[in-house]
Amino acid sequence: MLAFVRRNQVLLTSFLCVLFSLYILSAAARGHLRGDPVGPLLLALMRPLQIGTQLTMVKLKEMQQGYLNLMRIASENERLKGRITELEAERNRLLEVEATNRRLQELLDFRSQLPSGSVTAAVIGNSASTWFRTFVLDKGSADGVRRGMAVVSPAGVVGQVVAVTSRSSKILLIADPNSGVDVIDQRSRARGIVSGSLDSGPIMKYAKRSEEIQEGDRLITSGLDGIFPKGLLVGTVTRVRKKTFGLFQYVEVALAVDPYRLEEVLVVSAEAAPGAR
Amino acid sequence: MKLFLLFLLVGLGLVLVQTTFLHLLPLGPIVPDLILVLCVYWGLNHPTVGAVLGCFLLGYSVDVFSSPVLGLNAFAMSLVFLAVYLSSRSIWIHNPFMSAAVVFAASWIKGAALILVGSLFLAADGLWIGVLKYIFLEALVAAVLAPWAFSLLRRGQKMLEEVTVPL
Repeated sequence: MLAFVRRNQVLLTSFLCVLFSLYILSAAARGHLRGDPVGPLLLALMRPLQIGTQLTMVKLKEMQQGYLNLMRIASENERLKGRITELEAERNRLLEVEATNRRLQELLDFRSQLPSGSVTAAVIGNSASTWFRTFVLDKGSADGVRRGMAVVSPAGVVGQVVAVTSRSSKILLIADPNSGVDVIDQRSRARGIVSGSLDSGPIMKYAKRSEEIQEGDRLITSGLDGIFPKGLLVGTVTRVRKKTFGLFQYVEVALAVDPYRLEEVLVVSAEAAPGAR
Repeated sequence: MKLFLLFLLVGLGLVLVQTTFLHLLPLGPIVPDLILVLCVYWGLNHPTVGAVLGCFLLGYSVDVFSSPVLGLNAFAMSLVFLAVYLSSRSIWIHNPFMSAAVVFAASWIKGAALILVGSLFLAADGLWIGVLKYIFLEALVAAVLAPWAFSLLRRGQKMLEEVTVPL
């Protein structure tokens, strides 16, 4: 008998468990089950573990949500950065358009003071040499530009046309050593020739020692050279030096126009007489 | 003894996981029944008195946490163990596919047992309606998980057997 039980202990225990669970079930269903010792113990044992697990899951969920939010924010950030770049480019474009518009408006106002026949041109190229101060315009003989015409801007004199093709023209700037503009000191009416130089800035040549030229005097075109209309601003006297000998005094000039910042100019003939500016 | 402690810890861990973590899986109302998988593993690989009592206690634990009356799952798990134990004598091949098939069948036995005793003792109306779908899905999920669970249990058992406790 004992040997049978030992041989079939698993089977017998299983049957007993099945029967015992049926008994529990029956008693519990009828409400006769009193004093369950295992249930409360198990619940008490598992409670802290369940709370811990639950809290861990909540934390993990929060971390996951935080990470997802971070990813979303990072993506949004990238998108906004792109948008800012686009808007910056758009803003720069609009500022450029506004600046161009302003320059053209000034040029138009200036042009209205000149006799008809002046040509508006854009600068399309600069000098390729260190020794010369020239640039190229996009207008040529086909547009009415002729050799020897003056090139001016609302700020003052720029240079003169030295070569012309049908669709472009080359300008010799007044900052070039080979250039020369007949000028008058607007205050003292002293005369001279403004020309560029390689070593220093532009100078006013041939100003007599006896003339009263002061720093800050404005120099305007005299109109006597037959190239530039009379009364256009050329520059301002920055330094006057009289040596103990010689017929002329040494006058340094700051040009009114920085030719390398120009984008549009007017090409005019000497007949234009806008009056003193 | 070490093995008993391992299985006790695994069983309690599974109850904990099944009452907390597994509800978060995107399986709808289906909760993967890892306790059933453990009972089948015991029935196939460790048919001892301790395993029988373990199955009963695990079923009872599920009752404590989940069932409207005590004894439902204790009965179902004990029956599952008994069925697996009896059939294990006829199973000669042990591979992942076989373990999945046994778990699948055991899940159906558990479902049938629950319905049977539920009908007898709970007098719930319409318990059969739509329940087959859930039994099938639960059995499928358990069968899919079974090979991995068996592998983990075997590995844990092997590691434990290799550990020598210094006296």
